[in-house]
Amino acid sequence: MQTYRTLLFLVTGIPLGALWLGMLLAGWTLTVAFAITPLVIVILLGFSAATALAGLAERAIARDLLGAPGGRPGRTAKTTGYWQRGAVVLKAAVFWKTQVYLLARFLLGLPMAAIELALFAQGLFIATAPIHYRWLSQDGGERGLDFGIWLVDTLPEALLVAPVGLVLVIVAANLANPFAALWRGLSYALLGGTMTDVDTAGPSAADLRRALAIHATVYGVLNGFLVLIWALTTPGGYFWPIWTLLPLGLILAAHAWVTLLLVRPSVWPARLGRPLGIHAGISTLIVIFLTAIWAVTTPGEYFWPIWPALGLGIVVVLHLIIVLMTPDRSAMENRIEELTSTRAGAVDAQDAELRRIERDLHDGAQARLVALGMSLGMAEQRLDADPDAARQLLVEAKLGAREALEELRDLARGIHPPVLADRGLGAAVAALAARSPIEVSVSVVGERPPAAVESAAYFVTAEALANATKHANAQHVEIRILRRTDRLSVEVRDDGPGGADPSGAGLTGLRRRVEALDGRLIVNSPSGGPTVIQAELPCVS
Amino acid sequence: MRVVIAEDLALLRDGLSRLLRDNGFAVVAAVANGPDLVDSVIRGKPEVAIVDIRLPPTFSDEGLRAAIEIRKQAPDTAILVFSQYVEQTYATELLADGRGGVGYLLKDRVFDVAEFIEAVRRVGEGGTALDPQVVAQLFAHRRQGSRLDQLTARELQVLGLMAEGRSNAGIAESLVLTIGAIEKHIASIFTKLDLAVSESDHRRVLAVLAYLQRDDAPS
Repeated sequence: MQTYRTLLFLVTGIPLGALWLGMLLAGWTLTVAFAITPLVIVILLGFSAATALAGLAERAIARDLLGAPGGRPGRTAKTTGYWQRGAVVLKAAVFWKTQVYLLARFLLGLPMAAIELALFAQGLFIATAPIHYRWLSQDGGERGLDFGIWLVDTLPEALLVAPVGLVLVIVAANLANPFAALWRGLSYALLGGTMTDVDTAGPSAADLRRALAIHATVYGVLNGFLVLIWALTTPGGYFWPIWTLLPLGLILAAHAWVTLLLVRPSVWPARLGRPLGIHAGISTLIVIFLTAIWAVTTPGEYFWPIWPALGLGIVVVLHLIIVLMTPDRSAMENRIEELTSTRAGAVDAQDAELRRIERDLHDGAQARLVALGMSLGMAEQRLDADPDAARQLLVEAKLGAREALEELRDLARGIHPPVLADRGLGAAVAALAARSPIEVSVSVVGERPPAAVESAAYFVTAEALANATKHANAQHVEIRILRRTDRLSVEVRDDGPGGADPSGAGLTGLRRRVEALDGRLIVNSPSGGPTVIQAELPCVS
Repeated sequence: MRVVIAEDLALLRDGLSRLLRDNGFAVVAAVANGPDLVDSVIRGKPEVAIVDIRLPPTFSDEGLRAAIEIRKQAPDTAILVFSQYVEQTYATELLADGRGGVGYLLKDRVFDVAEFIEAVRRVGEGGTALDPQVVAQLFAHRRQGSRLDQLTARELQVLGLMAEGRSNAGIAESLVLTIGAIEKHIASIFTKLDLAVSESDHRRVLAVLAYLQRDDAPS
């Protein structure tokens, strides 16, 4: 379903993109033309309003078709001075950001829509070739599907190419997701979303991997197809497919390197920064590519790739020097971004927790105490007239009081179990295990961590254990908590059937709690099990 | 019987004092924190100290630590820990010295005044009173294939009440059976679990608890 919505989003981009481009061109032309007259302010204000309106429309479209985060767009400041109004418009980030998005809608959206539509149309066309190839007529008067070098004019040939069409359709459908992720990211960054939505915006590691897989598949299918044609038409002759294998291979290798850097940042020293990693990697790939071309065309002769290699090398070294000499700003910015988002997450999680406690108190203990008071009141009323009924009411009141206590005790334990504060993780987790209906083995090693870390570790364990009991239908759960010098590792492993949803409410709450302490929560729950939930919590003492 | 109460909430402290006085106890002191408790026990020499776990000044396990201190300084004073929550860890710590005169009950138990009074007396006379929740936790943790599976439902009930520290008469009363029938059940339980029959009620409780805490290999 999301694929259709994404497709719809891209298709709407064709007329809308053209419209926005026209609007931007008109707006800037007028602004520049009237720049030195007072009229420019009126034009700028109108332009700003039109931009804002277009931004609103695009936000609505992105939200409905892509599920992009909501939130409010930024606002321009208010001012009274005539000329200042123009300055306010030009200084407003929202004005520029929206325009960048509108422009992207045309410049990026159009090729994307073209790619998707072409892939779908071509794919369907080729996939159905066995049905219609015989009615197609080419320029030369021949009948069949013309691939330039190869004319498909028999049924076996048509059946041979049909899967290629299917692959194209599958590729088109799978491209929709990374495209949608990219646009979600753009709409988040440029049209404004709330910070708490940050983790749903932007492509995920899985999206990136999938995009690379699609790219590699396309590369493989295309080149396999060309090699097949070569083998069928001029076997043993000049191996011309090398001229698609190599350049497309360069692009694929560059894509793979960038994906690797994004998905596994540890392959490149963080201190050197991602741009340098991309730069150095692609430079290396280009040198390899040129060397391969040299080896294919003029092997053994003058090794000309040495010169571009030297040039690229010098640029990379210069880049490296610049990176090493400039103070590490991006790391700090990343850290600020991370802190902002985890703080928002922590506040959200805390808020949700308080609301849950309020609800539990309201529906539980409070209601029971009201009922208890009523029973006591009625007992008082009947004490003389009907002592037996009064006694019955008193028994009920006692029962109600006990249940209210029971509930309050559970609630208190859910907020912060007393035994955790008094005796530490070992005893608290052992108590959890003792209350659990399934078999739990517990190992807690090392000295006590700081209180906040201790309670986060406890709640990770409690939630994981509750999940294993409630959803996973597990027989055995293994809890291992290990205090190292600088951090606390928590691992909860069950033998259930797996398939836990890491974005479920419980796990999301835990993740926020852990991230607020600068820790990491990893949920690994492949279908078929086992489910392993790990938390790494830094301990700063 | 002379008692000392340590409870920081005035409402509960006064209520408990009244309840105990009404039932023929002499409340020699009612204090609100751990150090005062140790003092009043040493000076007042009560037979039982009723102690809340969470007390000032630390509001953590102050009461429990005071109780263990009293066990050392005034070994003749029985301790009844009376708390909002029960934890097996605390029960184990209280029972660690292997002597009688120990109790650990949830505050809810005061709802059944007669049973509560009985528990205070039992602890004061050197017996044991463990909250059914502590016992339930011990039972809940039994693995399948443990020897407890050989016990009948009635024998399991009797074992639970024994673990709480009740006497044969107490068990008989609560299950509405004759003392003779209870004795027969107990003999059968001890044979099935391979436990040595002990002289005092308290020894018996310790044996049963030790058995329940042991990680029983499937037989």
